[in-house]
Amino acid sequence: MANVGKTMRTPLRRVRYLGSARQGTGESWLVHLTATALVPLTIAFVWLVLTLLPKDYNGVRAELGHPLPALVLLLFVLVGLYHMQFGVRAIILDYVHGHAREWALIVNAFFAVAVGAACVYAVLRIGFV
Amino acid sequence: MASTESTSAPPPSRPLSPHLGIYRLTLTMIMSGTHRITGMGLCVGVLLLAWFLISASMDASAFAIFSAFIQSIIGRLVLFGFTWALLHHMLGGVRHFIWDSGRGLDDPEREQLAQATLIGGLALTLIVWAIGYAVR
Repeated sequence: MANVGKTMRTPLRRVRYLGSARQGTGESWLVHLTATALVPLTIAFVWLVLTLLPKDYNGVRAELGHPLPALVLLLFVLVGLYHMQFGVRAIILDYVHGHAREWALIVNAFFAVAVGAACVYAVLRIGFV
Repeated sequence: MASTESTSAPPPSRPLSPHLGIYRLTLTMIMSGTHRITGMGLCVGVLLLAWFLISASMDASAFAIFSAFIQSIIGRLVLFGFTWALLHHMLGGVRHFIWDSGRGLDDPEREQLAQATLIGGLALTLIVWAIGYAVR
């Protein structure tokens, strides 16, 4: 604020475009939307894992070959990773600074997409191959 | 989008708001931290899930490696941690939904909600594992 008084620029000019004006609720909405979906999906996922526990390789593949367990897994993984990436992003923005922040954000995005692709590929392969 | 003048501005010498280090540690503060820590823990958990799905999509020998790991002591500890992190984080989310509705923010309720999340997460984990050992 040292140059206030020397120039005609107001403090408002200095902060403009530095905030999240009008778009700040978008990410929050998506975090809450995915969280809402994840409550029943988590319960269904835990239930599914419990039904898989006594099964061997062939039993697990037969169970995951059915549409409902496969859909529960796909939705849990995809919605979960989308939700997770927002959460990790918030933690990175709080604790990581400088160039490391950009790398951390890149790793975060790549991790979510790579794990998501691997899980979707695996579930589809079990169901269709 | 930041203009160049914002980076060249001298550091402000205005008073800072008190940092969280000066406050007495409360249960709601610890629960805020555990919500983040369990969230980060679930990043490891999803890798375990990915390994399980990939190994199941491959041949029986690949699945046997995953099976051997998850039945080992370390594998069980990781799975137990994953179960707790998942259920604790889920209940933490439900607590945030209750707060979003404008309820449970006052003195006795927010403490009770924090305790309910903590005890509920541990209780649900033990129940799920009891069912797991019963059906396996």
